[in-house]
Amino acid sequence: MLRYILSRLGQSLILLLIVSFIGFAVLTLAPGGPLSQFALSPGMTQEQIDKIAAQMGLDRPVVVQYFDWMSNLVVGDWGTSYRDGQSVLHVIGSHLFATLLLMGTATVISVSLGSTIGIFSALKRGSAFDYATTVFAMVALSIPTFWFGLIAIYFFSLNLGWLPAGNMYTVGDGSVLDYASHLIMPAAVLALVDVAIWSRYMRTSTLNVINQDFVRTAKSKGLPRRRVVLKHIVGNSLVPMITLAGLQLPMVLGGALVTETVFTWPGMGRLFLDSLGYSDYPVVMGLLMASAILVLVGNLAADLIVALIDPRIRLD
Amino acid sequence: MMTDEKKNSAHLNRRQTLMMMGAAGAAGLIGPMAIGRDRAFAANADPSGQLVLAFSQEPTVFNPLMPHIEVDEGLYYAVYDTLFDFDPSGEFFPILAAEVPSVANGGITADGLNWSLKLKEGVTWHDGTPFTAEDVKFSLELTMDPDFRSFRSTGYKLMENITVVSPTELTWTMSEPFAPMAAILASTYIVPKHVFEGVADKNDTVLNTAPIGTGPFKFKSRMAGDHIELEANKDYHMDGPFLETLIIKYVPDLNVMYTQFKSGDIDVIGLQYITPDHLEEAETLDGKVVKVAGTATFESIGLNMTRPQFQELAVRQALYAAIDKTSIIDALYYGVPTPTETYMPRQSYYYNESLPTHEFSIEKANAILDEAGWVKGADGIREKDGVKLAFSNSTTAGNHLREQAQQFIQQTFAMIGVQMEIKNFPPAVMWGDYWMNSEFDSVVVGLNTLAGADPDTSDYFMSTMSPALGGSGQNTFAYQNPKVDELLTKGAANFVPEERKAIYEEMQAVMRDDLPFLPMFQYAVIKGWKDDVTGPEPNVNNRIDTWNVRDWKRG
Amino acid sequence: MSSLTANTPARRPFIKSRALRRFLSHKLALIGLIMVLTLTAACFIGPFLLPYDELHIDLMARFAPPGTGGHIFGTDPLGRDIAARLFHAGQISMAVGFAVMIIATTIGSVVGVVSGYYGGKVAAVLMRIVDAFLSFPSVFLLLALAAFIQPGPVMIALIISATSWMEVARIVEAEVKSLRNQDFVQAAHMLGLSNRWIMFRELLPNAIGPIIVAATLTVARAILLEAYISFLGYGIQPPLPSWGNMLNGAQQYLQSAPWLAIIPGLAITIAVTGFNFIGDGLRDAFDSRAQGE
Repeated sequence: MLRYILSRLGQSLILLLIVSFIGFAVLTLAPGGPLSQFALSPGMTQEQIDKIAAQMGLDRPVVVQYFDWMSNLVVGDWGTSYRDGQSVLHVIGSHLFATLLLMGTATVISVSLGSTIGIFSALKRGSAFDYATTVFAMVALSIPTFWFGLIAIYFFSLNLGWLPAGNMYTVGDGSVLDYASHLIMPAAVLALVDVAIWSRYMRTSTLNVINQDFVRTAKSKGLPRRRVVLKHIVGNSLVPMITLAGLQLPMVLGGALVTETVFTWPGMGRLFLDSLGYSDYPVVMGLLMASAILVLVGNLAADLIVALIDPRIRLD
Repeated sequence: MMTDEKKNSAHLNRRQTLMMMGAAGAAGLIGPMAIGRDRAFAANADPSGQLVLAFSQEPTVFNPLMPHIEVDEGLYYAVYDTLFDFDPSGEFFPILAAEVPSVANGGITADGLNWSLKLKEGVTWHDGTPFTAEDVKFSLELTMDPDFRSFRSTGYKLMENITVVSPTELTWTMSEPFAPMAAILASTYIVPKHVFEGVADKNDTVLNTAPIGTGPFKFKSRMAGDHIELEANKDYHMDGPFLETLIIKYVPDLNVMYTQFKSGDIDVIGLQYITPDHLEEAETLDGKVVKVAGTATFESIGLNMTRPQFQELAVRQALYAAIDKTSIIDALYYGVPTPTETYMPRQSYYYNESLPTHEFSIEKANAILDEAGWVKGADGIREKDGVKLAFSNSTTAGNHLREQAQQFIQQTFAMIGVQMEIKNFPPAVMWGDYWMNSEFDSVVVGLNTLAGADPDTSDYFMSTMSPALGGSGQNTFAYQNPKVDELLTKGAANFVPEERKAIYEEMQAVMRDDLPFLPMFQYAVIKGWKDDVTGPEPNVNNRIDTWNVRDWKRG
Repeated sequence: MSSLTANTPARRPFIKSRALRRFLSHKLALIGLIMVLTLTAACFIGPFLLPYDELHIDLMARFAPPGTGGHIFGTDPLGRDIAARLFHAGQISMAVGFAVMIIATTIGSVVGVVSGYYGGKVAAVLMRIVDAFLSFPSVFLLLALAAFIQPGPVMIALIISATSWMEVARIVEAEVKSLRNQDFVQAAHMLGLSNRWIMFRELLPNAIGPIIVAATLTVARAILLEAYISFLGYGIQPPLPSWGNMLNGAQQYLQSAPWLAIIPGLAITIAVTGFNFIGDGLRDAFDSRAQGE
């Protein structure tokens, strides 16, 4: 077990190295740069821009900049944001809550709703309900999330005036109700795709379980149907879902990025776009690394949990 | 737009003020400063209430001497102070200075080379440390510190021998007379020397996270990506502040911002403001004041004057004639901005009113090109001596109104046999080397070429200021005109407003004839606030709304 | 040669016809096929039937609601006919989708077949790279790439491909790995056929089912991604229309001219749904395990 974890971690580190180098090279070699935003400021001169670039070390070769950045990263220094002079970890940390809140809420909605739909369609395979949810899932997977967000804003904010069109809370209010009213629309939009995915996987997983021996045994023992479903089928079909949760992380994170842009949600997605716009490379790189780490850890954790609860799986 | 009353009074006040700045011949004519905003240690009224001001960009650079953008200044005016500033009519008023230095009051010698500055007494920083002349000296010198990422060096590099005479007085000399120096000082925020003491890296001080100034509001907290909270500085050295809490909110989407203004979540709608398509509706909103205000930025099609297509005046004239300005302004911009023929804002004392007016005429444009010998090829594009009238046009991708105007211009240009290809870039690419080193053919750009109310624009139009031609300024159009060079040199060394006015009016006329850029309009923005808010006032001489936030009140 | 090819599992042509039959009996797949074909026809034939040019600006006619002045889908802020733009945009968006499919499927197949065939260190390295790409939220990577290149349909297709080939690689790798020890491969070895021949002529065709399914889903995904990056302004640039950049800017007029946002969004949804339906049908058709259901 320990060897497995270590080797997985080792592989992950190599992945992170590859990923970081690609990202760094793309950002640094691209035209433009963090100083171009000052070009239109009154009194700014090329001379001054060159001077600042030299002070920030931006005039050095990419490889040198990369090793400088990497060697700091190794000792836990993720660099300093070009934009506000704060440490990258602090900047990311200060946007983390908003993203986790959004992702968390959406995940709760999608897991509970998606699993329920999936189990019912599996139990009633071939029924109208099964068919309808299948079609729903396919369509939901096909709707552009950002567009769905726009349409939701059009109806619920602009036309009906029920919900706020953006931000996380009203300044000066910030009550739970206030948060909730801001959260409901982006979370629902983000959850839409995931409900579809979860329901599909849950359906497959449940079907696999239904056909297995122990379920037949349980049924033949004359256990009440309700009990069979709840205890044997649901419990066992949830196991593969944990792996799915790990695999879904990059999707949910990507989805959160999309949703945040439409709902002006002050999370990491918003931060990513802003940082990209200002060529704030340290923050962009930090977010790329943080998301990659999050995903790797998520996958690893999912695999371990499955191994722990399912004695049939052995990690080697 | 500025109110009529302001316009009428502007002229006299401006003349007075500018003369005070050091006009040799006019010395002695002028009395003490007319504007007395100084509280003179009277007890402050109790600040009360909260105000939410929204910007569509996020202020993030809290050290005002480091590279920053417009929106950051929105915070600086609340937290920091300058020595003095421009009011809407272009007149100076003192802030940290006891009086604005002038030849009349002996603050500047007649040759403009020796300055002495008196400061207010009893001013303290937000942390309680007394403010002294040492802080001013430190701030001015910090701009030239080789280890400090300084925002700019223009003007500062001419200052020599900055000497603290007493805690409230300092003097310096200039290596050459430089009329725009006062305007530069008017946008130099003073930072506290004591927070830099014992700090290894001057780029990394407490100012980056929790700014300390002498301004009307103290920094309280920042919720990154969302808002900044400021609280009243009850020991402020001028009248005000009248608000207990000032919240600067970041709403990245203009529609959301407008929706929140409409619903009342936002009290004052700031930078990037109300979009023109919402003007009509905004004006009908209950309980809201909505005002269209001119700014010092002008929109133009800038031409890269090193390109063979633009060498001939006839081409530039034809292109200008083929721009349907009226349709662009009235239809695309909902009539909000004002057409212009020059880079100088019409609110300026130096604005030349008698420039020839643009006329949109496809026939005329075609006639000019026919006469100049540009003939259409098989592809319908005009050509002369192997040069095709085809070029690219670039601007910031994502600026929708501008992209619309660009496509519209593309269509009218096609009608005169000119092919304009649109090649837009994200901001970081557009305004990087592509812009600075004149790698473009033509651009659509909004520029403010002035420093405050001073008319000097050498950085932008002097032939030695083009990075592409080996210079170091912002003359990215690579414009070279000996007459303009001569006028700019004359203007910057002249301290007499009337004489300067003549110089800069002539320069505007020369450039209108020469058309290194095709002027479109002077920017105007749509500001809005709740009707129980008083204080916000447009000021064409400052970059952002909060220039007088100390005066803002509720109720 | 021909004798050898005949020796490879005989199930291929057989499956093929059965797969086709299954596909045609799959209702959703048929609906998807009809959606995609209709939309494609509209995009390529529609422009010839419309009286308006997609680039013609008429400021007098701006913001015409759908159905007025001969504009079936209305006009945009420059008075251009939205229907004409939508169809042209569709050509570009779908071209991007198909280009991505071809590029991503090719890369994915090559990577998959090579690592599946050779196994060992080669596979370890290649599959780690696949994992590296998979471990990124691809939207982050896409935007980072798109923000710093000269955006055009070709570049956009290339960078979307760069984040879309991993799925195919995994599928092919798994398939090839399971096939490489079978008799017909051994026979090929004994006949002295080159590795390349075995990989691409013998093994790859056997994985064709899953590849086609993945390719179809890739088109859907690519259309969505193109729309998103163009929506954010980092993708295809105006005046060249794409479904995504038609939505860019529509947000501003959401209240006054909602059709600017609704119509291109519907087009995207229809196209993507169509491809997903087809992909689903193909999956069922190729999946021999699904036989019993």
